[in-house]
Amino acid sequence: MEVVDIRPLLAPLLSLFCGILVFAVGERTWWRRFWSLSAAVVKLALVYSMLPGVLDGKIYSYSLIEFTPGIGLAFRVDALGMFFAIVSSSLWLITTVYAIGYMEQEHERARFFGFFALCVSTTVGIAFAENLLTLFLFYEMLTICTYPLVVHEETPEAMKAGRKYLVYTLLGGVFVLLGCAVTFQWAGTLSLSTAGILPASVGKQGLSLLFAAFVIGFGVKAAIMPLHGWLPSAMVAPAPVSALLHAVAVVKAGAFGIMRVVFCVFGVELLRDLGITVWLAALASVTIVLASIIAMTQDNFKRRLAYSTISQLSYIVLGVALLTPLAALGAIVHIANQAFQKITMFFVAGAIQRTTGRTNIHELGGIGYQMPFTMGAFTVAALGFIGVPLTAGFITKWYLSLGAMEAENGWVFVVVLITSSILNAGYWLPVVYMAFFKVPPGTHLHIKEAHWTLLIPTLICAVYVILLGSFAEVPGMPLSLARTAVEFFFGL
Amino acid sequence: MYGTQWPVVLLVTPLVGAALTPIIARRRAQLAGYWALFTFSIVSLAAAALTYQIHTQGEFSYYMGGWAPPIGIELRFDEFSASIAVICLVGWLSLLYCLGYAKHAIPERRIPYFYALMLLCLGGMNGFAVTGDIFNLFVFLEILSLAGYALVAITGDGIAELAAFKYLVMGAISSLSILLAIGIMYSLTGTLNMTDLAVRLSDVEPFPAAVAVAALTLGFCVKAALFPLHIWLPDAHSIAPSPVSAVLSGLVVKVGVLGMLRMFQILYASQVLDLTALNNVLMWLGAISIVMGALFAMVQDDIKMMLAYSTISNIGYIFLGLGLASTYGIIGASVHIFNHAIIKACLFLGAGSLIHQTGYRKLSDLRGVGKAMPITSAAIAVGAISIVGIPPTAGFLCKWYIALGAIEADRLFFAVALLFGALLIFVYYIRMLNAFYFMPPSHPEILEVGEAPLTMLIPIVILAILCLVMGIFGRIPLSFIEPAVINMLAPIGG
Repeated sequence: MEVVDIRPLLAPLLSLFCGILVFAVGERTWWRRFWSLSAAVVKLALVYSMLPGVLDGKIYSYSLIEFTPGIGLAFRVDALGMFFAIVSSSLWLITTVYAIGYMEQEHERARFFGFFALCVSTTVGIAFAENLLTLFLFYEMLTICTYPLVVHEETPEAMKAGRKYLVYTLLGGVFVLLGCAVTFQWAGTLSLSTAGILPASVGKQGLSLLFAAFVIGFGVKAAIMPLHGWLPSAMVAPAPVSALLHAVAVVKAGAFGIMRVVFCVFGVELLRDLGITVWLAALASVTIVLASIIAMTQDNFKRRLAYSTISQLSYIVLGVALLTPLAALGAIVHIANQAFQKITMFFVAGAIQRTTGRTNIHELGGIGYQMPFTMGAFTVAALGFIGVPLTAGFITKWYLSLGAMEAENGWVFVVVLITSSILNAGYWLPVVYMAFFKVPPGTHLHIKEAHWTLLIPTLICAVYVILLGSFAEVPGMPLSLARTAVEFFFGL
Repeated sequence: MYGTQWPVVLLVTPLVGAALTPIIARRRAQLAGYWALFTFSIVSLAAAALTYQIHTQGEFSYYMGGWAPPIGIELRFDEFSASIAVICLVGWLSLLYCLGYAKHAIPERRIPYFYALMLLCLGGMNGFAVTGDIFNLFVFLEILSLAGYALVAITGDGIAELAAFKYLVMGAISSLSILLAIGIMYSLTGTLNMTDLAVRLSDVEPFPAAVAVAALTLGFCVKAALFPLHIWLPDAHSIAPSPVSAVLSGLVVKVGVLGMLRMFQILYASQVLDLTALNNVLMWLGAISIVMGALFAMVQDDIKMMLAYSTISNIGYIFLGLGLASTYGIIGASVHIFNHAIIKACLFLGAGSLIHQTGYRKLSDLRGVGKAMPITSAAIAVGAISIVGIPPTAGFLCKWYIALGAIEADRLFFAVALLFGALLIFVYYIRMLNAFYFMPPSHPEILEVGEAPLTMLIPIVILAILCLVMGIFGRIPLSFIEPAVINMLAPIGG
């Protein structure tokens, strides 16, 4: 049931205004914090207010203007979009608190918080986009808005990373735009409101090329190998940026785009007939394993996190590419699961860096004696990535494996998932071991935790990782939303 | 009847105003600016009224003095003539900008002539856009070109004079070529009126007609600075005073494009020639222009030089769209005539302010200026994002439509070339933004300078806002252009 409602428009607009206000108040710290926090709270309330309706099968939509003839700047809240929006706006609030603490001593804070808000605005815009062009519009704006955050340090290294980031993501954008234009020519519409708009009559070759263009375009941000090069270098950005953008907003925008293309542009039926997604699944599998292996060799904490992100994102891509309902469920749910797990880890990395100045893993011996709560949160997230039951990661792996078994030759992918679990254990557990057990001689329990603005968000995220894993079936938890989305896309 | 004399106001006011400027400003040079602005306000009013009339009642003709053609002069107001609205908008804002700018940048005794020439140039452009016969087209072209040559040289620097001379030589060649074409057409058909030409050309010998078309194309391509006929542009546009650069880059090069559109209107209607070959050439030259303009711009350190090369790329977009000869392609090209005028004016005026306030014109010297002049820099950033075609800014519409047009014409390659070309353009604009915002200043005193005076700041801000608005409300220009393009392509079944 479609309902016209202005809330889908207000959600991105709110953060946009927040961004403008933050620029306007300049270096006045109190006002900046006030606007950032209150916008985050109001936005979260706004997004949540639509949740009951969406769970009931309502669809909120709002068409702003005809941007170009035939294609409007339009917003529409379906279950999948809602899912993404809830994840990003919840984490925006948490990250804002964290960033206020983390950025205390930094320069150019007005610019930082302003663009931070703009990024969230565009992310929600991506989530609520009614058509491909609106999605593309926000996708490109996200690129532009994150650039000042990536180069925030203004060091030559940061500038280089920023350049790399722009080249990769804008090239991806070109492919998406090309795909949009071709889709418009073939389908006559760009709407994302049905399960598939492309006609099968176009021919197999053309459709396969179009699919490849979209996968390259969105795959850059989703960091599918070999398009992942920008992500590890972009880790020079401050920790909250890495956390929100490179674990949540930017990379998930790519994954979300792939979902939209698979489920809404092509449709599951058409892709099954084409039989090209098996290549995507293979690519994702390679990425999962290879990125994990590279992660093992990284000593810099944030770089290891970056490669872990690349590996985890491909879980989502794999789940989508398998084209079975349960795998899709696993993929969608992983948007939330990975987000909370990964953001916990980034928060930990940032807190350790701010409190002790250490950035490399070999320096972390005995850190658990100094920052037990932070490292406790880290342990929870690490267990999540390994996929231990009662953590969020288990839910993902469970559904992905079930879904893989439904697919042809699915056991291959189950093996990939199990391998990945082992590899994850291989590079996260040693960190836990070092922190608590491989203690340099003479270390005593001397608690010197991170500032509370850094610690509280970390702990909240860690608790949520357990909640997501233990109470996944409780109504209103992400799983129920994901189920609604899957039922729509697969026509169940 | 009241209001029907607007066309006379549109054409005669700037000429009279220009002639009177040196007299009025005889004692106080600064009066010239106010006078020119006042005169041009009247012209703009006329343009607004006429555009509104085109919008409400569609295409119409006006006969000077009531004499119908072939004896009298016909002015034809169709959708393409609505470009007078943009000419007046950009022209008016540039003149406003001059009030603050001219004082320091132009020798005082030349200020009255400067404004007179600006009025002539802008008035000539209006005439070019609305005239209904090809000889007057040539006359107005000469008025605006001559004014343009002089404006480039107005500061009196040695380099400026050299640039103006180069511009003059190339311009003269193009004018001659256009005049030759007009002569051929007249001898073939015995008429100069465009509507008549379209009818009569349909049963003439194809060969002389082809020569005429070739000469016209050559002439207009030089005016539009299509690669490889662009060599005059970078120097002229970067050396000229900034408001002049804005007018030259935003508007004057579009004269070539408008001329091409007029020519295509006649040729499609008469169907005297098969235009496939010509369109192919234009398409390729357009694509090459995009890439070459971007490559040249990349190695520039001078901010205005960079902007000048970026104009060549954008002209490439427009010609690519024209050459595709598909509905979407030509719509994209026509929309970009307007949008590029606004974007480029914003960029050139912004760059002018930076140079005016800091005294530096190289990117390496301008580092850190984003903190010193936040509003101007933000406006330039909006312009830069817009010209690269990041949605939802004005530049995106053109990219989207030309890409659609290329796919419609089954030439995917050109869509790819266009989109990747746009990416190349971003490479050098990002260099500019990096220098403004993310690099420590190379001259610390740059942080002390403030924003330019309000007369310079306001036009820039208005143009920057328009860069955004024209993108989001892209329907407005499109609603004008779409029927015109469909009409134009109707004879060839477009």
